[in-house]
Amino acid sequence: MSGAASYLARRAAQKERVRILYRRALKDTLNWAVHRHLFYPDADALRERFDANKNVEDIETIDRMIADGEAQHNKWRHPDPYIVPWAPGGSKFTRNPTPPSGIEIVYDYGREDH
Amino acid sequence: MASALRAAILGHIRVPVVANGSKLLTPLWIRSMSSHDDHLEKTQVIDRILDIVKSFPKVDPSKVTPEVHFQKDLGLDSLDNVEIIMAIEEEFKLEIPDKEADKIDSCALAIEYVYNHPMAS
Repeated sequence: MSGAASYLARRAAQKERVRILYRRALKDTLNWAVHRHLFYPDADALRERFDANKNVEDIETIDRMIADGEAQHNKWRHPDPYIVPWAPGGSKFTRNPTPPSGIEIVYDYGREDH
Repeated sequence: MASALRAAILGHIRVPVVANGSKLLTPLWIRSMSSHDDHLEKTQVIDRILDIVKSFPKVDPSKVTPEVHFQKDLGLDSLDNVEIIMAIEEEFKLEIPDKEADKIDSCALAIEYVYNHPMAS
């Protein structure tokens, strides 16, 4: 019984890895092919590559294929990806952090008594 | 000479002064540049997300409702799910972390997430 549960857990983890790999690969495809008319055929080709291995059942083969895919993705990562500005890695991230509480500005210009 | 003429003319010209101050002195355009209440309305979010899902080529537009589940009701694949979430990210200029994006499975969850995100626009 625990064998079946651990098998299912492993398959679920693999499916999640595949989804995250597909997401990152699609974003990289968009980063490399900036224009939409180039991106759509490239995205279709990527989807074909994922779909070709859709029906593999053997769990070890799937593990090896995912590791392969991640290695290929690492090789093709874009050096300057588009990241939304306020997200980590973007240009506006922590640009104007909220000041810590307890600090207040005392408006007594000209009335200070040094 | 000219100054006397000018003084005489100015003495006769009257500029209307608005005595009632309350509404007329604060025109409507003063707050239009403020982003204070810049949150998206829920109806706008719902409309935009439904448009995205309907324009997906593998989806039948008549079946799309705000509570539809992508894989169960629309018969999509998990990779199609990933593509729809990427389209939503691009539409609302969001960056959804990978773990959260994996959990968005239906229109209802997507609408909730976008509506509660502080940076959605």
